[in-house]
Amino acid sequence: MAREKIHVGLEIGTTKVCAIVAECRRDGEVRLLGVGESPSRGVRKGEIVDFQNASNCVHDALSDAEERSDHEIKSVWLAVTGSHIESSNHRRSVTIEGGGEITEKEIEDIASKDKEVILPKENDILHSILQQYYVDGRDGVIDPIGIGGSKLEADYHIIHGVVNRIQSTIRCVRKIGIDVEDVVVNSVASAQIILDDQKKASGVVVIDIGGGVTDYIVYHNGVVRQSGVIAIGGDHITNDLCIGLRIPITRAEKLKIEEGSASLENFAGAEKITLKNDTGFSGKEIDRSMLNHIIHSRLHELFGILRNRIQDVVPIRLLGSGIILTGGCSLIKGVREVAESVFEVPVHFAHAQSVTGPTSAFDNPQLSTCIGLVKYAHAVDTDYPQESFLNRFISSISRKLHLI
Amino acid sequence: MIIFPRYLAGQSETQSLFIALGNAGINIMDRLIAQASFPMETLAINTDQQSISNTLASKKISMGQMTTHGLGTGGDPEIGLDAVKESSGEIQRAIEGRNIIFICAGLGGGTGSGATPLVAELAKQNGALVIAVVTSPFSFEGRRRAQQAATALREITRFADAILHFENDRMAELIAPHAEVGETFSVCDSLLFRAISSLNRIVTSNGPIPVSLPDMLAVLRHSEDSCLFGCGDAGGDDRVRHVIDATLRSPLLDRGRLLHDAGRLLVHISGPPSLSMEEVSEIMKEISKNLSASAMLNLGVSVSQDPYSPLSVAIIGRCGEEKRATPQIKATTDLSYLTQPSPTPQPASKPQQTEVPFFEVPVAHAAHPTEKPPTQKVEQPLLPLDPVTRGRFDKIEPTIVEGEDLDVPTFLRLKLKK
Repeated sequence: MAREKIHVGLEIGTTKVCAIVAECRRDGEVRLLGVGESPSRGVRKGEIVDFQNASNCVHDALSDAEERSDHEIKSVWLAVTGSHIESSNHRRSVTIEGGGEITEKEIEDIASKDKEVILPKENDILHSILQQYYVDGRDGVIDPIGIGGSKLEADYHIIHGVVNRIQSTIRCVRKIGIDVEDVVVNSVASAQIILDDQKKASGVVVIDIGGGVTDYIVYHNGVVRQSGVIAIGGDHITNDLCIGLRIPITRAEKLKIEEGSASLENFAGAEKITLKNDTGFSGKEIDRSMLNHIIHSRLHELFGILRNRIQDVVPIRLLGSGIILTGGCSLIKGVREVAESVFEVPVHFAHAQSVTGPTSAFDNPQLSTCIGLVKYAHAVDTDYPQESFLNRFISSISRKLHLI
Repeated sequence: MIIFPRYLAGQSETQSLFIALGNAGINIMDRLIAQASFPMETLAINTDQQSISNTLASKKISMGQMTTHGLGTGGDPEIGLDAVKESSGEIQRAIEGRNIIFICAGLGGGTGSGATPLVAELAKQNGALVIAVVTSPFSFEGRRRAQQAATALREITRFADAILHFENDRMAELIAPHAEVGETFSVCDSLLFRAISSLNRIVTSNGPIPVSLPDMLAVLRHSEDSCLFGCGDAGGDDRVRHVIDATLRSPLLDRGRLLHDAGRLLVHISGPPSLSMEEVSEIMKEISKNLSASAMLNLGVSVSQDPYSPLSVAIIGRCGEEKRATPQIKATTDLSYLTQPSPTPQPASKPQQTEVPFFEVPVAHAAHPTEKPPTQKVEQPLLPLDPVTRGRFDKIEPTIVEGEDLDVPTFLRLKLKK
């Protein structure tokens, strides 16, 4: 069997830069060929603050991935995030001329109405995702071609962000001579690999708690209802611990990963944790309840904000498939219990669907965005009928981005 | 006998007048008139004949005909002052009988800086409540203009009962740093418009919880600092949440951050007859979340007759902590100033000094009533709160959600709230 097209997904995260080289089969299966990682420097809250450092990290990660996969990387699909990314739902309409039958032309027309969406001046559309069609106000139309009517309307979910800030991320990759095929918002990418059609139809939320930011996306009735970014992540927990326990930041990070837990009861282990002394740091005893309390309040607040935002569009109890957690922070012990107490629906951890390759990679929630990118690239490349609308938008966006 | 200004006596009818001074003031007013049905009578005063003839104001005074020959001041406040002195009779006649006078001017130029203080003085002498709405120039307009504006502002503070001071710099910066010039100005002007019309609503409306004038003056009196203003409208379902969101997101509140520093705030809620007490309390609860614990809140609620009018919230305050005497003391000085002829004349205190030494102190004070408040005023500094800890997020863009700085550890914020 001939080799299928190979895609590379790159995510410049707050804690690590990660690149995935994968091959996509026709049947939608993704086979990982290699994973490259590098600790990230110069990135805060998902956005680059130190260009040179970040660019070096990207270089490290990509060369690591090249080495492991034995594939020369020329271009990547890039995940972007940051607090500037926002989303909104819009309805647009076209009047049907002529015989009153909806044709390709009307569909094209309605899809090309992106420009009419009013955005802040410095923003541009990243994704424009179709939610549903209405013909003469009648909803539930799946494919309007051939249906008669006088007015065609469509709901779109628009994800937009500040052009300059996305540009700087792209520039960071271009600088080392790698081309960027397209940018994909983190939450959209993660959803590709974590969700299947059945989950999307019954309603589900993907919450990706990364190092610097938390991305979320809400699906209901098979379409995206809402998505967004909150600039809170694992860094915040580390910072809280650093301030609350008065320990250095590197210590706090280590403590979070090794001992951190978000549950307020059933402490595992001793009441006190002893931090060994180290250069520049005399040892310290730390109260486990204090540690857990700090982590708990941060996560509890984060989920509270998310709950309010989700509730705006869909009542949470209608989400049949509940909440799916992913991202580095979902590895913290007890995070699921906190989420369940806030959302009051079942909370699961993400499991990448239909991926083969090194098992350690696709079970790692830190990589779900990256694998999702590959899957997304595959979906855009393949001319699946249900993906064709996506394809058009993507090409229009990439044209836009390439021009600049 | 207690003497009180006319605006407190004549409750029956309020006669408000909106005066625009100078080119900047008239520009703002023209935009206001063009933008909406402006509820007040308007008067344009300028030295520049051309701008006077183009304005939409209902009344116009071209002042200083002899001084400037209708050619403007050329940016010189001295000429502006001469011009307004020349035409003071005419202005006096125009403002006669008004009990609320808004004065709108852009400080920094000749007419705005030179004439505004005197017009404010005239209005004050007339017994009106004087509310000055002024803008200070952009810093790139040069230091000279900034100085002229600062001097004028100090002068105006002496006469105006309330000052809404907007810094152009801050407005442009906060609203849209990358917007086109024309757009920036129109956004600034529309913000001024919202500020002025909500002030007018606060002053004129009677509601279930009216804002008393002293309350409003306490918030706005004698402030040279720039003004804090936020407002929002919403209707339909979930209007409470939307209105809070819109209000806190007002650009001049810097996404709710500046509310932390405000010492006194005026919150005015107006809405359709269906406005419920629960909604009011929810709005206030959300707003108070963003305030420092020591902030003084004044609440006003008014209900409009129109069932379709939107729920709107306006927050007015001022940046920075309270520096000057509390308004209550200030009010008494004003009164004692008015009744000054009656106390013992100064020479009488001199002989007493030798006779009854222990009387010396109070009598000496009585002799200089205007100096009393500064010496009596006890500055009680607030204990410095712990600086807000943001740790490693100190230098980067903060995460603000619903007006809360989420970079500050949650457990700290929870403790602060308790």
